[in-house]
Amino acid sequence: MILYFKQKHIMNLKIKLTFLFLTMFNVLLFAQNGVLITGQVVSVTDSQPIPGVNVTIQNSSKGTTTDFDGNYQIEVNKGDALRFSYVGFSSQVITIDDQKVLNVSLSEDLSTLDEVVVVGYGTRKKSHLTGAIAKVGGDEVAGVQAARVDDALVGKLPGVLIQNQSGEPGSDPKIQIRAASSISGNSNPLIVVDGYPISGNLATVNPNDIESLEVLKDAASAAIYGSRGANGVILVTTKKGKSGKATFSYNAYTSLSNKYQRSNLLMNANEFGAHIESNIANGNWDVSEVNPALLQFRIDAYNNAPDVVSVEDWLFRTGFSTSHDFSMSGGSENVNYFASIGYLNTEGIAITQGFEKLNARLNIDAKLGDKFKTGLSFNGFTSDRNLLAHDQRDLLRAYSIHPIYHTEASISFVQQLDAQARSLGLKPFDNGYRGGNSPFNRSIYTLEPGMTAQDWHYGREGNGIGGTGDAGPATKLDNTKQWKKTFFGNVNSYLQFSVIDGLNIKTVLGGDFIDTRDYFYKGLEADAQGRSNQTRLNQDDLKVTTVLSETTLNYAKEFGKHDISAVAGLEFQNTTINGTNLRGTNVPYGDIINYNLLAPADINTTERKETMIRQSVFGRINYAFDNRYLLSVSMRRDGDSRFGANKKFAVFPALSIGWNMHNESFLEDNSLLSLLKPRFSIGSLGTTSFLGAYNSLSLLNPRPTVLGTGYLIPEDIANADLTWQTNKETNYGVDTGFFNNLFKFSVDYYTSDINDILIKQSVSEVLGTPFVKLNSGDVRSSGLEFELSANILNTQDFSWTVNANLSTVKTEITSLGNLTELPRVIYGQSGRGPMFRNYVGGGIGEMWGLETIGEVEDVHIADPTANIGFNSSAYYVKDQQSPGEPGYGEIDYTKPVSEGGDLVMIGQNTPDFYWGFNTSMKYKNFDLSMQFQGSQGGEVFNIDPLYWKSQFGGRLRNSFDANNDGIADHNGEHYTLTANQTDATMQDASYIALRNITLGYAFDSEFVSKMGLSSVRLYAAATNLLFLWANDYTSFNPEGVQTSGSDYLGPTTYGVQNGASPTVRSFTFGLSINF
Amino acid sequence: MKKIFILSGLWLFISACSTDLDQFPSNIASSGSLTDFGGVLNAAYFYQTASVTPMAVMGDFRADNALMIESPYTEFDAFNPELKSMSNQFFSPFYTALYKSILSANSVIENSSNATHVGEAKFLRALSYFKLVQVFGDVTVNLSPLPSVTDKSILVRQPMNDVYDNVILPDLQDAINVLGTTIVNGRASKLAAQALLGKVYVHRGDFNKAEPYLAAAVNGASASGVVLNPDFADIFVTDLNSEIIFATQISSSVVDEYRFSDFWQWYGGRDSKSLDPLDPRLIAAFDASPGDLRRVVTIDEANMASSKYPQAGGPDYDWIELRLADVILLYSETLNEIGDTSNALVQLNKIRTRAGLDNSTATTQVEVRTAIANERRLELAFEGQRWFDLVRTGTAQSALGLAFDNQYYLFPIPTSEVLSSFGVITQNPGY
Repeated sequence: MILYFKQKHIMNLKIKLTFLFLTMFNVLLFAQNGVLITGQVVSVTDSQPIPGVNVTIQNSSKGTTTDFDGNYQIEVNKGDALRFSYVGFSSQVITIDDQKVLNVSLSEDLSTLDEVVVVGYGTRKKSHLTGAIAKVGGDEVAGVQAARVDDALVGKLPGVLIQNQSGEPGSDPKIQIRAASSISGNSNPLIVVDGYPISGNLATVNPNDIESLEVLKDAASAAIYGSRGANGVILVTTKKGKSGKATFSYNAYTSLSNKYQRSNLLMNANEFGAHIESNIANGNWDVSEVNPALLQFRIDAYNNAPDVVSVEDWLFRTGFSTSHDFSMSGGSENVNYFASIGYLNTEGIAITQGFEKLNARLNIDAKLGDKFKTGLSFNGFTSDRNLLAHDQRDLLRAYSIHPIYHTEASISFVQQLDAQARSLGLKPFDNGYRGGNSPFNRSIYTLEPGMTAQDWHYGREGNGIGGTGDAGPATKLDNTKQWKKTFFGNVNSYLQFSVIDGLNIKTVLGGDFIDTRDYFYKGLEADAQGRSNQTRLNQDDLKVTTVLSETTLNYAKEFGKHDISAVAGLEFQNTTINGTNLRGTNVPYGDIINYNLLAPADINTTERKETMIRQSVFGRINYAFDNRYLLSVSMRRDGDSRFGANKKFAVFPALSIGWNMHNESFLEDNSLLSLLKPRFSIGSLGTTSFLGAYNSLSLLNPRPTVLGTGYLIPEDIANADLTWQTNKETNYGVDTGFFNNLFKFSVDYYTSDINDILIKQSVSEVLGTPFVKLNSGDVRSSGLEFELSANILNTQDFSWTVNANLSTVKTEITSLGNLTELPRVIYGQSGRGPMFRNYVGGGIGEMWGLETIGEVEDVHIADPTANIGFNSSAYYVKDQQSPGEPGYGEIDYTKPVSEGGDLVMIGQNTPDFYWGFNTSMKYKNFDLSMQFQGSQGGEVFNIDPLYWKSQFGGRLRNSFDANNDGIADHNGEHYTLTANQTDATMQDASYIALRNITLGYAFDSEFVSKMGLSSVRLYAAATNLLFLWANDYTSFNPEGVQTSGSDYLGPTTYGVQNGASPTVRSFTFGLSINF
Repeated sequence: MKKIFILSGLWLFISACSTDLDQFPSNIASSGSLTDFGGVLNAAYFYQTASVTPMAVMGDFRADNALMIESPYTEFDAFNPELKSMSNQFFSPFYTALYKSILSANSVIENSSNATHVGEAKFLRALSYFKLVQVFGDVTVNLSPLPSVTDKSILVRQPMNDVYDNVILPDLQDAINVLGTTIVNGRASKLAAQALLGKVYVHRGDFNKAEPYLAAAVNGASASGVVLNPDFADIFVTDLNSEIIFATQISSSVVDEYRFSDFWQWYGGRDSKSLDPLDPRLIAAFDASPGDLRRVVTIDEANMASSKYPQAGGPDYDWIELRLADVILLYSETLNEIGDTSNALVQLNKIRTRAGLDNSTATTQVEVRTAIANERRLELAFEGQRWFDLVRTGTAQSALGLAFDNQYYLFPIPTSEVLSSFGVITQNPGY
């Protein structure tokens, strides 16, 4: 048996001597006729020599192994095929020609069986795994250019859906592992870095520091994390130093980015003028009811508008980003270190967006004598993020007939339009002007070049042009500022004492600290109408300090065929939140403000102080018999201060079993099937989900009022029974491998039953709060996951691997306590969104609305004194009842068909399935990798286009309904004047994306070593080079689902798109050097 | 080696430190630690803020003083089910804020040992329910600080008359009994409670019961320092001026959580949904009152807007709930309705005199009734009163020159309330 060490170059003297001995023995044994060939075997990844590699002549019994410097010599005959093999690496076969020296580079074999996988509170051999754990190696993260760790994971793992809800630089993607574990809370998994659960997210980890990532998907794997495991756990292992020569590496890239789209969605005024004319000319639009003089006035206005740039072209730009990473590692026999620093600066694709971050890491491990090991690690992260401070949807609906900023030409143009309008008997253009304090609120006769243009400069109701009456986009954006600064620091240390062989006691003490400042500033001009006469400031400071202490007892021992490992531990965690919210009026803008100079009445501050405490006991036993029968049992008991007085503690047990059938005698010699391993696991998990520190209590909320401090109505209603929800999960899986694991195929099927689910349930406002938090109901989910990987080719010059995965999720609400349905929610301002339904027997967050049967024809748009709307957004709707049935003859927006109304299910955001496809190729010095990802069958209720259409004056007059009975006179159909709450606003959110393509070139090692370096690689990469979305999708980002706002209650109301930041495409050039 | 043992021992010790899972933050509501309910009472006042812009829009834009120009806001000028789409903008914040004010008031009434605080809380609770019944008719009645989350039966809407008889009238009576004459910092006073109770009786058409309270309010006002402000324009721009009996006080520095205090923007034509809100019918009403000093203070014909709340004062304008002129006109109306026409004219002429007008020439009860109604319109335009006056006097359809179903005298219950109560809270007919 050959031992495999992950850190294979740290070998103690004993092993080195053994190799030396073996090498000498082999040399003696096989010294005979033929040609003596010599060479060195090194690893592809780090060019370090590999000792102990088997070098054999195929179809013979001759062979040798490399010495501790990776050198070998063997006597061969021309035409012999030499096979180089080593556990953990892909074997290579080379046919001998005339060469005397044959140097070989072996690449690591990711499909290796005896790989060590990190699990909660320990490690396990991959062949002994019984749960559903997915692993991504650090080189896979580093091999693709990714600004953050999540990007590198997209599409790589079955059951892990990573969704870029926003393309803003620095924004966090939504990570969902398997089915939603909550119907009200978020899906963020627990992030554990080197065994330490951090309070930050993956953004705080530098992708270049990653040694490996493990994702714990099933209950049995995550149950050891108990109450935090329900969303899954991502275990991050960072690089550690290795004894020996210090190594340095440097990685830098620069990239250009823009928004991904097929064509400009928004027309400028001239384009719209042409659009009107062509539609009239080819008969699409019948304007016979419109006064021709007014129509011509309007068309001319669009055609002749000078200096127009579409608001889309103004708002979006080419983004730019640069990144530098530097790391060094090394160590002596007793102390190892790894240190890195990374810097990234990104300019976003929308003006004002930017993101700058700095990561630093230091990992030190030391041996103190034979019995003790200790280590300390530090991770720091600081970022500065500038956001688009005004709602993007609102900016984009600006009226395209005006420029962003006025010019001489645009001023004289609007004055000329005014004269024309008056001569046609229309209202004057200064109709919107009201005087007042704001500098931009001017009559069109006092405008100056350079001023921001306002919608009302160009028109209002009644003057033939129309308009929103809002401020222009530049007025809104130029006078607002929004940024967020984050500092995250984590320091933790451990001390491990080896009591006897196989038994260790380890204690970990650490703390982390997040400090964020959210700043929002609105200038005088920046309300939607641009007429605010007060400035506003809102600044939130939040400091979250977490202290964690953990002590574990570890035992691992092999007795013959029995392999036992066990862990037991105690953990305490204490989190304190200190926050200050500062609101100001009449405050000047500035990064630093002297509050002493402001009027006391203009400043309000609110303090926040909260403490959350968790106590846990946990344990696990793993047992493997003869590498065939595998068992793992774990248990955790958690107590958490957040829950109700009666229900603070819960126990989370788990059991999993596996069977390495390929190690059974009846399969051992099967040349086709090299891996066959059925697995089964069952366990339970908890989640604190969306709960804050004191949600089980009813707290008074002090706030300044005119009459002094007011104690506002508590947001929460006291609930002593508020408790964990428990997720019971089962997982059935099977791993198979063929042809010595060149092809591997795994299937997992899971079910998840969430009991006592934590719900934010909306209640009558008579109770003083819009929703209550309670445990009520059960949800059942199931899913299938497939993963296929293949090492298609593996020769010295050319290697090619592919990996594909596909996942499905199905979720059903099986109980809602004593309810059959949660209160329905009609989403959005003025009910623009769908009705969300969550009922027993249905899925989570079903969207319901009216069924439309076609758009109201443009011929019916008339009334030239009002806006002449062309994009009407009026639809005929289907009356779901037949003549004679109750409810026939009217459209009821409030009830589904089953209750006599007219609502039908119009969509749901959960995809039917999602998939990933990854391939990487190496040919000589070139490497190429591609990461595809897709999602199929989800839908969004996309409100954006309604706003964009409205900029051309979409107000339809119902001249086709003389008696105002809601039925069109000419065809007898019911109609709706808006697309609100109808299927006309549903769009297919499916997509196929080439998330990343990276082409690299590594310089020849001889060339590089002449320069004193050990490796140099140049690469070019692109993200979202290809992004296919459905034809009916008409916005910038099909993944951009809204997750904020007063109507958003979590997954029960998930699926509306409203101003999502666009999908970003970027092109990157980079360089990485090791020396 | 010894050091290491000490170190590890220390770490184990830290690890083993027990921590307490029972947390008692200092602002816990259920701890019973609160003895002074003044802060809760302040919240009851504060919550009135979000009701004022909806009151303005319902009171004037629904009536013949102001117009909505832009769809879908124009639904305020139409009488059909579509008004429901304005739920999020107006009816829902109005409803939410008032029920929060009621909850806060309930907490003071149930727990406070300070009689004045209880009196003020009863005034605010009555004011909240009065606003609710005027707008929605039958409404849910909650008199508990901690209503049941699970018992849906408490949400059933109670008949409007029961709300008057069981809540509004007794609360105001209690407030009159305990509140003092002096107005402190604009808080509720005995005067305010008397005036409101009189107004409530007038709204119910019970003039005999209204008379003593309105008489007491009009005659006792000066004892509380309340007199007619000789400068009509000053009433609207100076907070807590001499004419104010009770106002919902608004300060921009504490208001931005509820942007619904921007009634002055709506009236002033500064909201883009209605840039020219002035209804020509109000201009006509002023045309019929030549020499009226209130005309330029009230209407800005050049901009077709109201001039009561100039731009300069901005978001700090208080919302006047009760001012002396309103109460005098209610008293005048009451006297006329109970047959004392000559004294009714005495009260009416007080208001006309300040407006620079001659005494009314009306003589018969019917003439005086019309004169008072007309005077109320000119005096109280853009103060959220007109629509509710038209409804209570049954003249809405004739004044607007529109025939519509009586069900549109009421406004729609917020849709979210119907949904979240599973239909226990019903929608008003017609919506």
